[in-house]
Amino acid sequence: MIELKKIVKELNLKVITGSSNLDKEISGGYASDLMSDVIANSKKDNIWITLQTHQNIVAVAILKELGGIIIVNGRKLEEETLKKAKKENIPIMVTDIPTFEIVGRLYRLGITGMM
Amino acid sequence: MTLNQAKEILEAKVITGLDNLETEVKIGCASDLMSDVLIFNKPESLLLTGLTNPQVVRTAEMADIKAICFVRGKTLDEKTIELAKDKNIILLMTHLPMFESCGRLYKKGLVGLGYLDINKKNG
Amino acid sequence: MAEDKKFTKIQELTYELKIKDVMTKKVVTVHPKKPISELREILYKKGISGTPVVSKGELVGLISIEDFIKCLAQGEMNALIEEKMAKKVETLYADEPVVHAVRKFDQYGFGRFPVIKRNNKKLVGIITKGDIIKGLLKKLEIDYHEEEIHRYRASHIFEDIIADNTTLTFQYNVVGKDFDKAGESASGLKRTLYRLGIQPNIVRRASIATYEAEMNIVVFTDGGKLTASVQPHQIKIDASDSGPGIPDVKQAMRPGFSTAPEWIRELGFGAGMGLLNIKNCTDKMTLDSKVGKGTHLEAVLYLN
Ligand SMILES: Nc1ncnc2c1ncn2[C@@H]1O[C@H](COP(=O)(O)OP(=O)(O)OP(=O)(O)O)[C@@H](O)[C@H]1O
Ligand SMILES: [Mg+2]
Repeated sequence: MIELKKIVKELNLKVITGSSNLDKEISGGYASDLMSDVIANSKKDNIWITLQTHQNIVAVAILKELGGIIIVNGRKLEEETLKKAKKENIPIMVTDIPTFEIVGRLYRLGITGMM
Repeated sequence: MTLNQAKEILEAKVITGLDNLETEVKIGCASDLMSDVLIFNKPESLLLTGLTNPQVVRTAEMADIKAICFVRGKTLDEKTIELAKDKNIILLMTHLPMFESCGRLYKKGLVGLGYLDINKKNG
Repeated sequence: MAEDKKFTKIQELTYELKIKDVMTKKVVTVHPKKPISELREILYKKGISGTPVVSKGELVGLISIEDFIKCLAQGEMNALIEEKMAKKVETLYADEPVVHAVRKFDQYGFGRFPVIKRNNKKLVGIITKGDIIKGLLKKLEIDYHEEEIHRYRASHIFEDIIADNTTLTFQYNVVGKDFDKAGESASGLKRTLYRLGIQPNIVRRASIATYEAEMNIVVFTDGGKLTASVQPHQIKIDASDSGPGIPDVKQAMRPGFSTAPEWIRELGFGAGMGLLNIKNCTDKMTLDSKVGKGTHLEAVLYLN
């Protein structure tokens, strides 16, 4: 298990929201841009990799008790998403790197994605 | 990396293109949103996606992507297979989830793009 | 067609073609109750080296020139064919792909295999390596020629036209909300541009732009038209619809902005990258839209 804080530091992620909530341990990774998929298959304390920036991502993260969200491709968060994530103190991080590469780097840190 | 190697690493099934598994892929591209795949625009890439509808194959056709691997094994639409055959696109299917698939391929040497400049001219 | 492409094409055809497409259907057969001596005529005169033994339409064995020579040497010309024939015969089914035959030839080193029907074991033909090669070449030639003729005709079209100004126009109707057909216009245009001999990377950029425009019409409107005008120096793509229109074009162009509903996202669209993608793929792009009237997108690619 690895702390979210450490992931942020190692991968140089920009923390947008939930910066006071980075002490949790991450149980594994889930990469998907399909809400239904994440709702069905992600696990508690997973770190979620997506390029979706819609406010629904916050609702899904709360529902599934995810550890945090990494937004890829340098995408900007929508206003509503930002507001909601701040209110719920959900850690959202951003990187310029696309999904495949960032997942590869997370995997190298020992985070796996078996269901 | 050849598709044969990718197939082994991902414990994948070959759906179409059994005879073209020596095809090389240079970059991994993981996405469930098609315009994102198109903006990525790397013809030598292996596209990993959780979607299985025919539009995925269409997208590959447009971007000259030769191989797609569907993740988190599921049943495929017959139309998707037909279109892939018609367009000569190789289809693989793995039972692994997206995260694990990317991780394993990465570990074995397939790289991704280090940076995506979405405002760059495509060409 | 490049050499390596031709090669994979052949491999592909071995899966596509069925044994019944390439086998010889007119088979010379013999009856098991006939004497070996009757083979002389068949084997010598017809110049074949083995023949299926058939009784009531069903395959019961295979007799070869070697069997015949053995009998000849041992003075057994009156023996019955059924006594000397091979009874355990490797066969192929008519509906199997040709690749199975290729593997079987490799595996056994035989010169021929009888072909039978899967349901009733009736002999329907015979297949040799020569049949496979002939069949593949024929098919390859047809496919190859068809595409090549298209390409040749199309790529010379501009040279053959005498005019101060030439424009080829291709028009496609896009049906709204039809996700099965979505992409067919872009696919058709891609093929057409390729046949016109336009550089592959330009074809790709034009296809991506057209596909994104087509998808927007499919997703956000009830239908529209795509028109590509090809001139010796440029390709112009026009996408127009009389759908709901875009209230704020500048906002729509921003990466990530999308009004696509959740179900569209679940289909893989609605990243809000399409319009930007069109802009990046083309050399010039303009987008006009009036709420309640419709949207008109124009994009140009220069051909060096
Ligand atoms: N033909 C059109 N008619 C009405 N609205 C349109 C049309 N084309 C685009 N739009 C509007 O512009 C927005 C942005 O379009 P764009 O193609 O960039 O993204 P998208 O279609 O939402 O997602 P993506 O293209 O990434 O799948 C759309 O969400 C939609 O609101
Ligand atoms: Mg779009």
